[in-house]
Amino acid sequence: MVDVAMVGAGQTKFGNHPLGLKGMWSEAIEKAFSSVDNDCLPSMVDEAFIGSIAFGGSQLGNTAALLTEHSGMDGVSVRRVENACASSGFALRDAWMTIKSGQADIVVAGGIEKMNDLSAERKRYWLGVSGDTEWERLAGLTFPGTYALTARRYFHEFESTHDDLVHVSVKNHMHGFDNEVAHLRKDVSFEKASSGAMVADPLTLYDCCPTSDGASAVILVADHLAHQFTDTPIWVKGSGAGSDKLALHDRPSLTQLRATQLASQKAYSIANIQPNQIDLAEVHDCFTIAEVLATEDLGFAGRGEGGRFARDGQGRRNEGDVTINASGGLKSKGHPLGATGTGQAVEVFKQLRHQVESPRQVRDAEVGLTHNVGGSGATCAVHIFGRER
Amino acid sequence: MPISKSSVENVIFATSAYGDRWAGPDGDRLTIALQLLQSETASTIQIDSFVESLEYTPSTAVSSIIESTTDWKVDSDGQYHLIASNSSFIVALTKDEHISQWPDLSLGKMIDEDHKNSIHGAWKKEVAGVSQGAYVSQSQHRLAMPSRLGLHAQEDASTIVWPPRQLNAEGERIAPASNKLDNRASILTWTRLSAAGAPSEFSLRAPLLGGVSTVLVEFSSGPKGVFMLADDEDGQASIGQEVSFEVRRLYGQDELIHYGLKALLI
Repeated sequence: MVDVAMVGAGQTKFGNHPLGLKGMWSEAIEKAFSSVDNDCLPSMVDEAFIGSIAFGGSQLGNTAALLTEHSGMDGVSVRRVENACASSGFALRDAWMTIKSGQADIVVAGGIEKMNDLSAERKRYWLGVSGDTEWERLAGLTFPGTYALTARRYFHEFESTHDDLVHVSVKNHMHGFDNEVAHLRKDVSFEKASSGAMVADPLTLYDCCPTSDGASAVILVADHLAHQFTDTPIWVKGSGAGSDKLALHDRPSLTQLRATQLASQKAYSIANIQPNQIDLAEVHDCFTIAEVLATEDLGFAGRGEGGRFARDGQGRRNEGDVTINASGGLKSKGHPLGATGTGQAVEVFKQLRHQVESPRQVRDAEVGLTHNVGGSGATCAVHIFGRER
Repeated sequence: MPISKSSVENVIFATSAYGDRWAGPDGDRLTIALQLLQSETASTIQIDSFVESLEYTPSTAVSSIIESTTDWKVDSDGQYHLIASNSSFIVALTKDEHISQWPDLSLGKMIDEDHKNSIHGAWKKEVAGVSQGAYVSQSQHRLAMPSRLGLHAQEDASTIVWPPRQLNAEGERIAPASNKLDNRASILTWTRLSAAGAPSEFSLRAPLLGGVSTVLVEFSSGPKGVFMLADDEDGQASIGQEVSFEVRRLYGQDELIHYGLKALLI
């Protein structure tokens, strides 16, 4: 079976980006190709997978063809991948599978979202279109509400309080402070994060990720080409994905994400890696409670111990066994829905190549993981990367 | 919030708890009528004049809403007539075709006139709006109505299934609803969204109501569901607390009003 290497990765800054879809995408592609050590050109790409929700209805049809047309990949076989916030995590998985199956040698996976130039009214319409619109949204829920339901139940079932979520928020803001592509680059004190405006009780503003613009892309190649492009390829050692009931109320547990469990089990198994071998993990902290659940579902903490994991500062950069969200995560780096999954891979690519500017570099990083969730847990893609093949 | 009922010469009159001047922030003549019918022994009913009294068009036929929510059958030769006053929020159930004299039923919960007018204005604007995002199709509303309004549930391998599902893991079609869930359930978790965090469908009313509360509940027969909380001005939800359900207005869009069950703290 063919092995898959990541030889290039790039992204725009996440946040209120001045460029539109074409401009942001071409910037991410430009950066991804220029990060490849030896010549690699967009015209060499066999297949492209681009994740996007097409937020706001912007270029809802044929999004991907428009973007490749404007980024030097005219004629390439391309499609948009849509799985809500996990769109580009699944684009990455599709790209990985395409090379694995021997159907292509050079594949681009990426994602894009433009969220901040919409009118407030249109933005409100589009936030929450990925939940169960018929049964959840009509009961007043958008994702802050859904994750708030989860948080309150988590506090009820386990020895955990909102303070644990504050620890997640403070850590991720600390990590993102030095990240030049992060949306919210501000150090936030525990006191400040404890006193945020209430969004969905018990979640406050400091528990919620921002809505961001951004684009990201990675270049994957088949093993026989890896060393043609670089001496330090990053190997995609495992890929897993899973799904679950769309609506929270249809799931047996309100405090676990089965999609994450299924995806990570597959990825760990393919990579032949255990959770305790992961040096850094970019996890999907769209809300702080989501990071607490992720640390459990990915196997970094035991069931019900995710709150304590955060309280004890175990995910802080270079302090525990694993650094969680070295980039700042969705909370600080930002969350341009479709661009988030491959944006996580961009961070892991740089970290594992030890190319991250100080003080953000995770010490001796050898193995990294990305965890990209769609909606409140209906879909999830997990990838494991390593310096060693 | 229970309706207020009174009987005069074989006519049963009903109003909301606010009396005959208002049906409440998410009520109207139809929601009052549904509670009235649920409180009486079911029979057959004529509704022609009642439908004309409604301020806005429901997203599905009134007859379907009545039959999904109650055991009454709508029939053009029905034994009873459902009639609503056009000038007040009184609904009557009678064997006569007309109401000769509408009673004065103004006594009820105190009304803040400014609040009432603001809510009324918000509904008017909301109904005129067009969906730009999370659109739920009319057919979806229609097909799910017995489940949405009447808690009708399916059964698959001895497991009660609600909300409705199509195929099971064996690829077999799950039979149509044959059970009905209890009208009570227990809160597993809850939240209160700020006005800014509420879905766009509620963006005009949420600021007036100080946000939107939602409960995730479990029915004794197993299924779970999420419902907006109604009439919670004086109370706050808690885990383990019981709720009951009433049909209320959910939202307005594309010139139609959508109805659904909301939870009430017991």
